[in-house]
Amino acid sequence: MEEQACIRLAREGDTEAFRALFEGHRERVFSLAYHYLKNQADAEDVMQETFIKAYHGLPGYKPDKGLNFSSWLNRICVNASIDALRKWRKKDIQSLENEEVSKLSAPSHSSNPETSARNREIREKVDQALNKLSPKQRMIFTMRHYQEYSIREIAEYMDATEGSIKKHLFRAVETLKRRLRRFVMEDGYGL
Amino acid sequence: MDCKTAKSLIILGLYGELDEGEKRDLEEHLRRCSACAAELAETKKVFSLLEENKPAVLPEVDWEKSWDKIRGGIDRRPAKNEQSIFPRWKWAFAGASLALVLGAGIFIGKYGFAPAPKPAIVSIPASSGPTSVQQAFAGYLEDVKPILLDYAHYTPGEKNGRRITVDENILRGLVFQNILLKRKLAEKDPVAAELLDDLDLVLKEITNRGTQDPQSPAGIKDLIVQRDVLFKLEIMKKL
Repeated sequence: MEEQACIRLAREGDTEAFRALFEGHRERVFSLAYHYLKNQADAEDVMQETFIKAYHGLPGYKPDKGLNFSSWLNRICVNASIDALRKWRKKDIQSLENEEVSKLSAPSHSSNPETSARNREIREKVDQALNKLSPKQRMIFTMRHYQEYSIREIAEYMDATEGSIKKHLFRAVETLKRRLRRFVMEDGYGL
Repeated sequence: MDCKTAKSLIILGLYGELDEGEKRDLEEHLRRCSACAAELAETKKVFSLLEENKPAVLPEVDWEKSWDKIRGGIDRRPAKNEQSIFPRWKWAFAGASLALVLGAGIFIGKYGFAPAPKPAIVSIPASSGPTSVQQAFAGYLEDVKPILLDYAHYTPGEKNGRRITVDENILRGLVFQNILLKRKLAEKDPVAAELLDDLDLVLKEITNRGTQDPQSPAGIKDLIVQRDVLFKLEIMKKL
Protein backbone atom coordinates (compact mmCIF):
# COMPACT_ATOMS: atom_id res chain seq x y z
CA MET A 1 0.00 0.00 0.00
CA GLU A 2 1.26 3.48 -0.78
CA GLU A 3 2.59 5.43 2.23
CA GLN A 4 0.16 8.32 1.90
CA ALA A 5 -2.76 5.88 1.85
CA CYS A 6 -1.39 4.18 4.98
CA ILE A 7 -1.07 7.52 6.71
CA ARG A 8 -4.64 8.43 5.78
CA LEU A 9 -6.00 5.10 7.02
CA ALA A 10 -3.89 5.10 10.18
CA ARG A 11 -5.15 8.57 10.94
CA GLU A 12 -8.67 7.13 10.83
CA GLY A 13 -7.66 4.49 13.37
CA ASP A 14 -6.59 1.62 11.08
CA THR A 15 -3.84 -0.04 13.10
CA GLU A 16 -2.93 -2.45 10.29
CA ALA A 17 -2.15 0.51 8.06
CA PHE A 18 -0.07 1.93 10.87
CA ARG A 19 1.71 -1.39 11.20
CA ALA A 20 2.71 -1.07 7.54
CA LEU A 21 4.20 2.34 8.35
CA PHE A 22 6.00 0.84 11.35
CA GLU A 23 7.46 -1.90 9.17
CA GLY A 24 8.66 0.61 6.64
CA HIS A 25 10.45 2.88 9.12
CA ARG A 26 11.31 0.79 12.18
CA GLU A 27 14.95 0.01 11.30
CA ARG A 28 15.81 3.63 10.64
CA VAL A 29 14.14 4.87 13.81
CA PHE A 30 15.76 2.15 15.90
CA SER A 31 19.16 2.84 14.33
CA LEU A 32 18.93 6.53 15.18
CA ALA A 33 18.00 5.83 18.80
CA TYR A 34 20.61 3.08 19.15
CA HIS A 35 23.51 5.08 17.75
CA TYR A 36 22.61 7.87 20.11
CA LEU A 37 21.77 5.95 23.29
CA LYS A 38 24.11 3.00 22.74
CA ASN A 39 21.86 0.71 24.67
CA GLN A 40 19.54 -1.75 22.96
CA ALA A 41 16.80 -1.86 25.57
CA ASP A 42 16.56 1.92 25.78
CA ALA A 43 16.76 2.32 22.02
CA GLU A 44 13.86 -0.15 21.67
CA ASP A 45 11.87 1.81 24.27
CA VAL A 46 12.50 5.06 22.40
CA MET A 47 11.59 3.43 19.09
CA GLN A 48 8.31 2.16 20.52
CA GLU A 49 7.61 5.50 22.15
CA THR A 50 8.27 7.23 18.82
CA PHE A 51 5.68 5.12 17.01
CA ILE A 52 3.10 5.47 19.76
CA LYS A 53 3.60 9.23 19.70
CA ALA A 54 3.41 9.21 15.93
CA TYR A 55 0.14 7.28 15.94
CA HIS A 56 -1.49 9.72 18.30
CA GLY A 57 0.11 12.67 16.57
CA LEU A 58 -1.11 11.66 13.11
CA PRO A 59 -4.20 13.90 13.21
CA GLY A 60 -1.85 16.85 13.62
CA TYR A 61 0.66 15.74 11.01
CA LYS A 62 0.52 17.97 7.93
CA PRO A 63 2.60 16.59 5.05
CA ASP A 64 1.83 19.67 3.00
CA LYS A 65 3.90 21.73 5.44
CA GLY A 66 7.08 20.36 3.91
CA LEU A 67 7.98 17.67 6.42
CA ASN A 68 7.65 14.18 4.96
CA PHE A 69 6.59 11.28 7.15
CA SER A 70 10.09 9.93 7.51
CA SER A 71 11.46 13.32 8.65
CA TRP A 72 8.51 13.78 10.98
CA LEU A 73 9.18 10.40 12.60
CA ASN A 74 12.86 11.27 12.92
CA ARG A 75 11.94 14.50 14.65
CA ILE A 76 9.82 12.60 17.18
CA CYS A 77 12.61 10.07 17.67
CA VAL A 78 15.24 12.80 18.14
CA ASN A 79 13.16 14.44 20.88
CA ALA A 80 12.38 11.12 22.58
CA SER A 81 16.06 10.10 22.47
CA ILE A 82 17.28 13.40 23.92
CA ASP A 83 14.67 13.11 26.65
CA ALA A 84 15.78 9.55 27.41
CA LEU A 85 19.44 10.58 27.63
CA ARG A 86 18.56 13.42 29.98
CA LYS A 87 16.79 10.94 32.24
CA TRP A 88 19.78 8.64 32.13
CA ARG A 89 22.15 11.37 33.04
CA LYS A 90 20.12 12.10 36.09
CA LYS A 91 20.85 8.52 37.10
CA ASP A 92 24.26 7.03 36.65
CA ILE A 93 24.72 6.99 32.93
CA GLN A 94 28.36 6.02 33.14
CA SER A 95 27.67 2.63 34.66
CA LEU A 96 24.99 1.93 32.10
CA GLU A 97 27.24 2.83 29.23
CA ASN A 98 30.19 0.86 30.50
CA GLU A 99 27.99 -2.21 30.58
CA GLU A 100 27.16 -1.70 26.96
CA VAL A 101 30.59 -0.76 25.70
CA SER A 102 31.54 -4.28 24.75
CA LYS A 103 28.36 -4.78 22.72
CA LEU A 104 28.67 -1.57 20.77
CA SER A 105 31.51 -1.36 18.44
CA ALA A 106 32.68 -3.27 15.49
CA PRO A 107 33.56 -6.72 16.66
CA SER A 108 37.28 -7.10 16.97
CA HIS A 109 38.69 -9.33 14.28
CA SER A 110 41.92 -9.62 16.13
CA SER A 111 42.58 -12.64 18.26
CA ASN A 112 45.46 -10.75 19.82
CA PRO A 113 44.47 -9.94 23.42
CA GLU A 114 46.59 -6.78 23.40
CA THR A 115 44.75 -5.43 20.36
CA SER A 116 41.38 -6.30 21.91
CA ALA A 117 42.32 -4.55 25.13
CA ARG A 118 43.47 -1.52 23.15
CA ASN A 119 40.21 -1.46 21.16
CA ARG A 120 38.23 -1.68 24.34
CA GLU A 121 40.21 1.17 25.81
CA ILE A 122 39.61 3.28 22.72
CA ARG A 123 35.89 2.64 22.94
CA GLU A 124 35.84 3.58 26.59
CA LYS A 125 37.76 6.79 25.93
CA VAL A 126 35.45 7.72 23.07
CA ASP A 127 32.38 6.95 25.16
CA GLN A 128 33.70 9.07 28.00
CA ALA A 129 34.32 11.90 25.55
CA LEU A 130 30.83 11.56 24.04
CA ASN A 131 29.42 11.75 27.54
CA LYS A 132 30.90 15.20 27.90
CA LEU A 133 28.69 16.52 25.12
CA SER A 134 25.32 18.04 25.91
CA PRO A 135 22.40 15.81 24.83
CA LYS A 136 21.72 18.13 21.90
CA GLN A 137 25.35 18.27 20.77
CA ARG A 138 25.63 14.52 21.08
CA MET A 139 22.54 14.08 18.91
CA ILE A 140 23.87 16.40 16.23
CA PHE A 141 27.27 14.71 16.28
CA THR A 142 25.74 11.21 16.20
CA MET A 143 23.47 12.06 13.31
CA ARG A 144 26.26 13.65 11.29
CA HIS A 145 29.17 11.40 12.14
CA TYR A 146 27.62 7.96 12.60
CA GLN A 147 24.36 8.24 10.72
CA GLU A 148 25.70 10.50 7.97
CA TYR A 149 22.69 12.76 7.81
CA SER A 150 23.39 16.09 6.15
CA ILE A 151 23.39 19.35 8.10
CA ARG A 152 20.22 20.30 6.26
CA GLU A 153 18.48 17.09 7.30
CA ILE A 154 19.63 17.44 10.92
CA ALA A 155 18.33 20.99 10.98
CA GLU A 156 14.99 19.67 9.76
CA TYR A 157 14.80 16.92 12.39
CA MET A 158 15.86 19.23 15.18
CA ASP A 159 13.71 22.11 14.03
CA ALA A 160 16.72 24.43 13.99
CA THR A 161 18.63 26.50 11.46
CA GLU A 162 21.56 25.05 9.54
CA GLY A 163 23.80 27.73 11.07
CA SER A 164 22.90 26.64 14.57
CA ILE A 165 23.50 22.97 13.72
CA LYS A 166 26.93 23.85 12.29
CA LYS A 167 27.81 25.73 15.47
CA HIS A 168 26.77 22.82 17.69
CA LEU A 169 28.60 20.33 15.49
CA PHE A 170 31.75 22.44 15.60
CA ARG A 171 31.58 22.69 19.39
CA ALA A 172 30.91 18.97 19.71
CA VAL A 173 33.92 18.03 17.57
CA GLU A 174 36.12 20.53 19.39
CA THR A 175 35.09 18.99 22.73
CA LEU A 176 35.82 15.49 21.44
CA LYS A 177 39.18 16.60 20.08
CA ARG A 178 40.08 18.17 23.40
CA ARG A 179 39.09 15.02 25.30
CA LEU A 180 40.78 12.62 22.91
CA ARG A 181 43.88 14.60 21.96
CA ARG A 182 46.07 13.22 24.68
CA PHE A 183 44.88 9.69 24.03
CA VAL A 184 45.50 10.04 20.28
CA MET A 185 49.09 11.09 20.94
CA GLU A 186 49.77 8.51 23.66
CA ASP A 187 48.27 5.68 21.72
CA GLY A 188 50.45 5.90 18.66
CA TYR A 189 48.04 7.98 16.66
CA GLY A 190 50.68 10.66 17.09
CA LEU A 191 50.61 13.57 14.75
CA MET B 1 40.45 33.73 5.77
CA ASP B 2 41.46 33.78 9.44
CA CYS B 3 42.46 30.68 11.43
CA LYS B 4 39.24 30.68 13.48
CA THR B 5 37.12 30.43 10.34
CA ALA B 6 39.50 27.84 8.90
CA LYS B 7 39.09 25.69 12.02
CA SER B 8 35.34 25.47 11.64
CA LEU B 9 35.60 24.93 7.89
CA ILE B 10 38.05 22.05 8.46
CA ILE B 11 35.38 20.17 10.42
CA LEU B 12 32.63 20.96 7.93
CA GLY B 13 35.02 20.07 5.11
CA LEU B 14 35.71 16.63 6.55
CA TYR B 15 31.96 16.09 6.59
CA GLY B 16 31.71 17.21 2.97
CA GLU B 17 29.59 20.21 3.90
CA LEU B 18 31.55 22.93 2.08
CA ASP B 19 30.62 24.53 -1.21
CA GLU B 20 33.25 24.89 -3.94
CA GLY B 21 34.17 28.43 -2.95
CA GLU B 22 34.66 27.59 0.72
CA LYS B 23 36.68 24.52 -0.22
CA ARG B 24 38.97 26.59 -2.44
CA ASP B 25 39.45 29.27 0.23
CA LEU B 26 40.22 26.65 2.87
CA GLU B 27 42.74 24.84 0.68
CA GLU B 28 44.46 28.10 -0.03
CA HIS B 29 44.61 28.92 3.70
CA LEU B 30 45.95 25.47 4.55
CA ARG B 31 48.76 25.85 2.03
CA ARG B 32 49.92 29.00 3.76
CA CYS B 33 49.16 28.18 7.43
CA SER B 34 51.05 25.28 8.97
CA ALA B 35 49.11 25.54 12.26
CA CYS B 36 45.81 24.98 10.47
CA ALA B 37 47.34 22.19 8.38
CA ALA B 38 48.34 20.49 11.64
CA GLU B 39 44.82 21.12 12.93
CA LEU B 40 43.43 19.29 9.89
CA ALA B 41 45.79 16.34 10.49
CA GLU B 42 44.80 16.15 14.14
CA THR B 43 41.09 16.32 13.36
CA LYS B 44 41.50 13.49 10.85
CA LYS B 45 43.21 11.34 13.50
CA VAL B 46 40.42 12.02 15.98
CA PHE B 47 37.85 11.18 13.32
CA SER B 48 39.50 7.84 12.64
CA LEU B 49 39.49 7.14 16.36
CA LEU B 50 35.80 7.98 16.52
CA GLU B 51 35.20 5.76 13.54
CA GLU B 52 36.45 2.78 15.54
CA ASN B 53 33.61 3.39 17.96
CA LYS B 54 30.95 3.12 15.29
CA PRO B 55 28.70 0.13 15.81
CA ALA B 56 29.32 -2.13 12.83
CA VAL B 57 26.02 -3.96 13.03
CA LEU B 58 22.81 -3.15 14.79
CA PRO B 59 21.63 -5.67 17.37
CA GLU B 60 18.72 -7.86 16.41
CA VAL B 61 15.35 -6.60 17.46
CA ASP B 62 12.29 -8.73 18.05
CA TRP B 63 10.02 -6.63 15.85
CA GLU B 64 6.89 -8.63 16.68
CA LYS B 65 7.41 -7.99 20.36
CA SER B 66 8.04 -4.31 19.64
CA TRP B 67 4.88 -4.07 17.59
CA ASP B 68 2.89 -5.74 20.38
CA LYS B 69 4.14 -3.10 22.80
CA ILE B 70 3.34 -0.31 20.37
CA ARG B 71 -0.10 -1.80 19.80
CA GLY B 72 -0.60 -1.97 23.54
CA GLY B 73 0.49 1.67 23.86
CA ILE B 74 -1.88 2.71 21.12
CA ASP B 75 -4.80 0.83 22.63
CA ARG B 76 -4.20 2.09 26.14
CA ARG B 77 -4.53 5.66 25.08
CA PRO B 78 -7.89 7.34 24.88
CA ALA B 79 -9.02 8.24 21.39
CA LYS B 80 -9.35 11.83 22.43
CA ASN B 81 -5.95 13.39 22.81
CA GLU B 82 -6.83 15.35 25.84
CA GLN B 83 -7.87 13.87 29.13
CA SER B 84 -6.69 14.66 32.57
CA ILE B 85 -6.80 12.72 35.82
CA PHE B 86 -8.00 15.96 37.30
CA PRO B 87 -10.84 16.88 34.91
CA ARG B 88 -11.03 20.26 33.30
CA TRP B 89 -14.17 21.34 35.08
CA LYS B 90 -12.39 20.83 38.37
CA TRP B 91 -9.60 23.12 37.22
CA ALA B 92 -12.15 25.65 36.13
CA PHE B 93 -13.78 25.37 39.53
CA ALA B 94 -10.41 25.63 41.28
CA GLY B 95 -9.55 28.66 39.13
CA ALA B 96 -12.82 30.35 39.97
CA SER B 97 -12.32 29.61 43.69
CA LEU B 98 -8.80 30.95 43.60
CA ALA B 99 -9.92 34.10 41.80
CA LEU B 100 -12.64 34.53 44.45
CA VAL B 101 -10.15 34.10 47.29
CA LEU B 102 -7.72 36.52 45.67
CA GLY B 103 -10.52 39.00 45.03
CA ALA B 104 -11.71 38.73 48.62
CA GLY B 105 -8.16 39.18 49.84
CA ILE B 106 -7.75 42.35 47.80
CA PHE B 107 -11.11 43.67 48.99
CA ILE B 108 -10.48 42.91 52.66
CA GLY B 109 -6.94 44.20 52.49
CA LYS B 110 -8.05 47.42 50.86
CA TYR B 111 -11.23 48.22 52.75
CA GLY B 112 -11.55 45.85 55.71
CA PHE B 113 -8.41 46.96 57.55
CA ALA B 114 -8.26 50.60 56.54
CA PRO B 115 -6.26 52.62 57.26
CA ALA B 116 -3.63 49.93 56.85
CA PRO B 117 -0.09 51.10 56.18
CA LYS B 118 0.24 48.79 53.18
CA PRO B 119 -2.84 47.34 51.51
CA ALA B 120 -2.44 43.59 51.03
CA ILE B 121 -2.62 42.37 47.48
CA VAL B 122 -3.68 38.83 48.20
CA SER B 123 -5.28 36.91 51.01
CA ILE B 124 -2.17 37.02 53.21
CA PRO B 125 -2.41 40.38 54.98
CA ALA B 126 0.81 42.15 55.84
CA SER B 127 -0.11 42.19 59.51
CA SER B 128 -1.23 38.60 59.66
CA GLY B 129 -0.06 36.57 62.63
CA PRO B 130 1.57 33.17 62.56
CA THR B 131 -1.73 31.31 62.60
CA SER B 132 -3.20 33.04 59.57
CA VAL B 133 0.05 32.59 57.63
CA GLN B 134 0.09 28.93 58.55
CA GLN B 135 -3.51 28.62 57.45
CA ALA B 136 -2.68 30.33 54.17
CA PHE B 137 0.28 28.00 53.78
CA ALA B 138 -1.87 24.90 54.46
CA GLY B 139 -4.44 26.16 51.96
CA TYR B 140 -1.71 26.76 49.44
CA LEU B 141 -0.45 23.19 49.83
CA GLU B 142 -3.98 21.93 49.27
CA ASP B 143 -4.24 24.00 46.10
CA VAL B 144 -0.95 22.88 44.66
CA LYS B 145 -1.23 19.20 45.58
CA PRO B 146 -3.70 18.13 42.82
CA ILE B 147 -1.35 19.56 40.19
CA LEU B 148 1.60 17.66 41.64
CA LEU B 149 -0.43 14.47 41.83
CA ASP B 150 -1.52 14.84 38.24
CA TYR B 151 2.12 14.92 37.14
CA ALA B 152 3.34 12.37 39.69
CA HIS B 153 0.76 9.82 38.50
CA TYR B 154 1.80 10.28 34.94
CA THR B 155 3.22 7.02 33.59
CA PRO B 156 5.28 6.57 30.41
CA GLY B 157 2.61 4.22 29.05
CA GLU B 158 0.12 7.05 29.08
CA LYS B 159 2.46 9.44 27.37
CA ASN B 160 1.41 11.54 24.41
CA GLY B 161 -2.18 10.45 24.35
CA ARG B 162 -3.01 12.35 27.49
CA ARG B 163 -2.13 15.94 28.07
CA ILE B 164 -2.12 17.37 31.53
CA THR B 165 -3.79 20.71 31.35
CA VAL B 166 -3.29 23.39 33.94
CA ASP B 167 -4.73 26.83 33.58
CA GLU B 168 -1.93 29.37 33.15
CA ASN B 169 -3.68 31.87 35.40
CA ILE B 170 -3.81 29.31 38.19
CA LEU B 171 -0.12 28.63 37.75
CA ARG B 172 0.72 32.33 37.85
CA GLY B 173 -1.47 32.73 40.92
CA LEU B 174 0.29 29.89 42.70
CA VAL B 175 3.74 31.22 41.83
CA PHE B 176 2.70 34.63 43.14
CA GLN B 177 1.30 33.19 46.37
CA ASN B 178 4.52 31.22 46.76
CA ILE B 179 6.54 34.45 46.73
CA LEU B 180 4.34 36.03 49.37
CA LEU B 181 4.35 32.97 51.61
CA LYS B 182 8.11 32.67 51.33
CA ARG B 183 8.51 36.25 52.48
CA LYS B 184 6.41 35.45 55.52
CA LEU B 185 7.90 32.08 56.33
CA ALA B 186 11.54 32.33 55.26
CA GLU B 187 12.93 33.33 58.63
CA LYS B 188 10.53 31.57 60.97
CA ASP B 189 10.17 28.27 59.18
CA PRO B 190 13.11 27.26 56.99
CA VAL B 191 11.62 23.81 56.32
CA ALA B 192 8.46 25.35 54.91
CA ALA B 193 10.57 27.81 52.95
CA GLU B 194 12.52 24.93 51.43
CA LEU B 195 9.30 23.22 50.37
CA LEU B 196 8.11 26.50 48.89
CA ASP B 197 11.36 26.71 46.94
CA ASP B 198 10.79 23.22 45.55
CA LEU B 199 7.21 24.05 44.66
CA ASP B 200 8.33 27.28 43.05
CA LEU B 201 10.77 25.33 40.91
CA VAL B 202 8.13 22.81 39.84
CA LEU B 203 5.51 25.46 39.07
CA LYS B 204 7.97 27.53 37.07
CA GLU B 205 9.08 24.44 35.19
CA ILE B 206 5.46 23.70 34.28
CA THR B 207 5.00 27.32 33.19
CA ASN B 208 8.21 27.36 31.16
CA ARG B 209 7.74 24.02 29.48
CA GLY B 210 4.14 24.78 28.69
CA THR B 211 1.38 22.27 29.23
CA GLN B 212 1.03 21.68 25.49
CA ASP B 213 4.50 20.16 25.16
CA PRO B 214 4.05 16.37 24.99
CA GLN B 215 7.53 15.90 26.49
CA SER B 216 6.67 18.03 29.46
CA PRO B 217 4.86 15.70 31.91
CA ALA B 218 7.69 13.18 32.18
CA GLY B 219 10.21 15.94 32.89
CA ILE B 220 7.99 17.53 35.53
CA LYS B 221 7.36 14.15 37.12
CA ASP B 222 11.12 13.57 37.30
CA LEU B 223 11.56 16.90 39.02
CA ILE B 224 8.81 16.14 41.56
CA VAL B 225 10.33 12.73 42.30
CA GLN B 226 13.89 14.04 42.35
CA ARG B 227 13.03 16.66 44.95
CA ASP B 228 10.71 14.41 46.96
CA VAL B 229 8.16 17.19 46.80
CA LEU B 230 5.09 15.09 47.57
CA PHE B 231 6.79 13.43 50.52
CA LYS B 232 7.86 16.79 51.94
CA LEU B 233 4.37 18.11 51.37
CA GLU B 234 2.79 15.24 53.29
CA ILE B 235 5.27 15.66 56.14
CA MET B 236 4.59 19.38 56.23
CA LYS B 237 0.85 18.82 56.41
CA LYS B 238 1.30 16.54 59.42
CA LEU B 239 3.42 19.04 61.32
